[in-house]
Amino acid sequence: MNASTCCLLLLGLLATASVHAADSTDAALLQRGQYLATAGDCVACHTAPAGKPFAGGLTVPTPIGNIIATNITPSATAGIGHYTEQQFSDALRKGIRADGKRLYPAMPYTAYAQITDDDVHALYAYFMHDVAPVDSKPAPTRLPFPFNIRLSMAAWNLLFLDSKPFAPDPGKSADWNRGAYLVRGLAHCSTCHTPRNLLMAEQSSRELAGGAVGTWLAPNITSDANSSIGGWSEEDLVDYLKLGHARGKAQAAGPMAEAVEHSLQHLEPADLQAIATYLKTVPARHDPADIQAVDSWGAAFDGVAEQRGTPFPDDAEKWSGAQLYDAHCASCHQARGEGSFDGGLPPLFHNTATGRARADNLVLVILEGIHWTDASGVHMPAFANDLSDQQIATLANYLTRHYGNPAATVDAARVGVLRAGGAPSHLVALARLALAVIALLIVLVIVLRVRRRRRRASAGRA
Amino acid sequence: MSAELSADIVVIGAGIVGALAAQRLARQGASVLILEAGPRLERARVVAAFRNSPFKGNWMAPYPPSPWAPHPIYVPQDNGYLKQAGPYPYPAEYIRAVGGTTWHWAAQAWRLVPNDVRIKSLYGVGVDWPLSYEELDPWYQEAEELLGVAGADNTGSPRQHPFPMAPVAEPWSMRRVRERLAPAYPVVANTVARNSRGYDGRPACVGNNSCQPICPVNAQYLGINAVEAAEAAGAKVIPNAVVYRIEHDVKGHIAAVHYYAPDKSEHRVTGTTFILAANGVESPKLLLLSASDTYPNGLANRSGMVGRHLMDHPSTSLTFYADEELWLGRGPQSPSSINTLRDGAFRSQHAPYRLDFTNISQVLNVTNDLIKEGVYGAEFEKQLRWRAARQINVKNVLEVLPNPDNRITLSAEKDAMGIPKPEAHYAIDDYTRRAAEVSKADFARIAELMGGTGLRYSADGQFANNQHITGTMSMGNDPATSVVDAFGRTHDHENLFVCSTGVMPTAATMNSTLTGVALALRTAEHILPAKNSHAATAHVGHETSLA
Repeated sequence: MNASTCCLLLLGLLATASVHAADSTDAALLQRGQYLATAGDCVACHTAPAGKPFAGGLTVPTPIGNIIATNITPSATAGIGHYTEQQFSDALRKGIRADGKRLYPAMPYTAYAQITDDDVHALYAYFMHDVAPVDSKPAPTRLPFPFNIRLSMAAWNLLFLDSKPFAPDPGKSADWNRGAYLVRGLAHCSTCHTPRNLLMAEQSSRELAGGAVGTWLAPNITSDANSSIGGWSEEDLVDYLKLGHARGKAQAAGPMAEAVEHSLQHLEPADLQAIATYLKTVPARHDPADIQAVDSWGAAFDGVAEQRGTPFPDDAEKWSGAQLYDAHCASCHQARGEGSFDGGLPPLFHNTATGRARADNLVLVILEGIHWTDASGVHMPAFANDLSDQQIATLANYLTRHYGNPAATVDAARVGVLRAGGAPSHLVALARLALAVIALLIVLVIVLRVRRRRRRASAGRA
Repeated sequence: MSAELSADIVVIGAGIVGALAAQRLARQGASVLILEAGPRLERARVVAAFRNSPFKGNWMAPYPPSPWAPHPIYVPQDNGYLKQAGPYPYPAEYIRAVGGTTWHWAAQAWRLVPNDVRIKSLYGVGVDWPLSYEELDPWYQEAEELLGVAGADNTGSPRQHPFPMAPVAEPWSMRRVRERLAPAYPVVANTVARNSRGYDGRPACVGNNSCQPICPVNAQYLGINAVEAAEAAGAKVIPNAVVYRIEHDVKGHIAAVHYYAPDKSEHRVTGTTFILAANGVESPKLLLLSASDTYPNGLANRSGMVGRHLMDHPSTSLTFYADEELWLGRGPQSPSSINTLRDGAFRSQHAPYRLDFTNISQVLNVTNDLIKEGVYGAEFEKQLRWRAARQINVKNVLEVLPNPDNRITLSAEKDAMGIPKPEAHYAIDDYTRRAAEVSKADFARIAELMGGTGLRYSADGQFANNQHITGTMSMGNDPATSVVDAFGRTHDHENLFVCSTGVMPTAATMNSTLTGVALALRTAEHILPAKNSHAATAHVGHETSLA
């Protein structure tokens, strides 16, 4: 072998090595992008039930009408395959589509605005290269007037969008900063947990003080000891985010169960720990109605034994709370509400499900149960088909009275509203009314001016 | 007479078999009407009735018969509905209600073993089935995916595709039995329609140990789930519709069925195709009741075989105390069994059998024993604890051969609606009795391996019944010796089908429900083929596409 052959071989080896290095960098980048997409829970909205991942089509009900999630696969015709990285970034962080039109803030771009350039780059790489393109377009979103005018969002953004990426606080630990970045940014906790003003913008002064998502109450997750998770250990928080429940405290249901299933449980332990670290420092917001910790109410109670030997009324609407509990709940939660010995079937006392000042979430979990889409399946059965509004009201009041916060009561009418998906929103009517009033005022002003001018003119002539 | 109802498909009987045939036909776009003699029940009321009943061991207690559609009751005394002509009693239990008898089953969802359908050819006993195990396999699979079946692979029943679910968690008692009987007897998880994880919107078993009389959490698939599936597919159910006559036209086609409402008003329902799915006792009763001038022996009965070949599974058993604490009662009632004796050359000499362990809490039985023995006070408590922890029971599940003399006929006695009651003629032959004798050696060996004391064999010649009603409308290729063909169509009436465990020509050694459902799905496909390929091989996807 001569020297030149040797050199060529060496060069060849080097070239191969560098290609491999690039490959592994790409692989790492794509993997990070996938992880970030999971942390951002993009799949939650951008995938229809039983639909293809990221192909859109899920209907997201909002107070201003149904918003239909779009296809964000790299399909050039139906998805975002034609997006440049800048366009991708603008959609993600500024709410501006490639065609310049504005997104509705159902897309949490006000939170995603915090995402760093590096992470946007990784997300872009993942969506362009690792997501399977799907060439079908979901139905377009058609909101009622005036919200169908997407340009109105530009004004909204001017008022409510803080488009600066996350800036670490040098006074805080790396762990805290990582947690803050995730909570405020990708994990977009505030989207549900921060209350919103009349214009549907998050009230940043009341970060994570409790909001709503559909009919579900997204509870206060500040550091308040009574109204929130101030009494939880960081381990409790990590458990909750990882498993969907914190033993002896709470279980994730409704949209939070989805967030845990599709996003939070897949995060690295260090990231979950960082989220816990940060949440424990969010300024406490106290609700005076919470006179003790929401996860500290109630005790074991057996209301079932005294039913023995008493015939149940023929009319099931007239069954007592204990009778309903006996027939529907006691088989899992046990006669005394203490659940199973290992906590796998949770106790109903010392449980946020029964300890809140409002019983809405309790009613909702009875109606809907807790269903995960993975192999674990039904964590709690739904009772919407088995129980009437009156029965659920009777049962929920029995549960809060004996196992939870007795101040939380509910009637059949409220159960009916929750079953129907919530009270109808007046935002559309309000917005139209506001526009009509403004139009009327403008007309009035014009009329007055014209009149005044005429009067002056006629006075001048006189 | 009120306005006539009509449908493409009229199903008589809203049990698990008829309802699953109905759901399949409704899914293909047929209009389907299901007539059920009994009332509609709600799980919560059954659960409440069970919990409130002082008779926890009487599984029929939460299911009182309705006056217009009575069913047999034996505790506290025989209500005289199923008449006994002898020589051996046949005390079948079943429930006439929407959802049928599987309201209170142990969810045993067994397949046959392949040789079960060829015992005449292989062992010279019984009859061969008009179809092979291989032909049944895809229908078993479809049935298992509908019911949500959890099972182990090593039970002697081969399969092409995996079970929908892994076996239900093994209770401590069964683990100890398995460990101590190995390697002499392999103890395996039973094949059950019980969730080991969330499946099809129903939760996993949480071990209430009340499978019979009622699964309180919907972890066990019941006939009512099948009815709800049929309704979701568009079928309509009419409860309290007591069919008393099937009407044929001059060509022998079925034209209509007639039913009484509870007030005895008469109603006529017309249809294109009729499915009789009212179990192995009520279905032949109805065919016999529908005799006409043209068919003086009843419908579908040119062969004279309607109601004949009645089979079930008699059992003998051994109860004893193990030398360690097993604490039966945690987990499902019937979790494990021994399946190595379901087939073999011995079948030419005696019946095959399964050996089944109960996991029902022994507290009630032991309490009754102690009270009977006059044990009270501190000694009672001590004995209760000791015995309830150690008492265990093993039983055999014996095959019975088809015998035309074992049969369901019409009794001269009538029920409150004026409809003749069914009458059972039954005997247990030497083929089955020999197996009971042989199995005693297994019982003894099992007790020995468990360090058993206080051995109590069931009395000689006394058999418990297992409510697996089979054979009364047997399928076969020969219209002279069978009632329906291999697809469940009656030989005599082109548009009358039977979906029932009653079409099984032999009883084999396993609970009959899954085979009944598989055959019914096959019948449904025969009546109205599924639009896209063979549904039984297209796996129902329960997984989500979310990664």
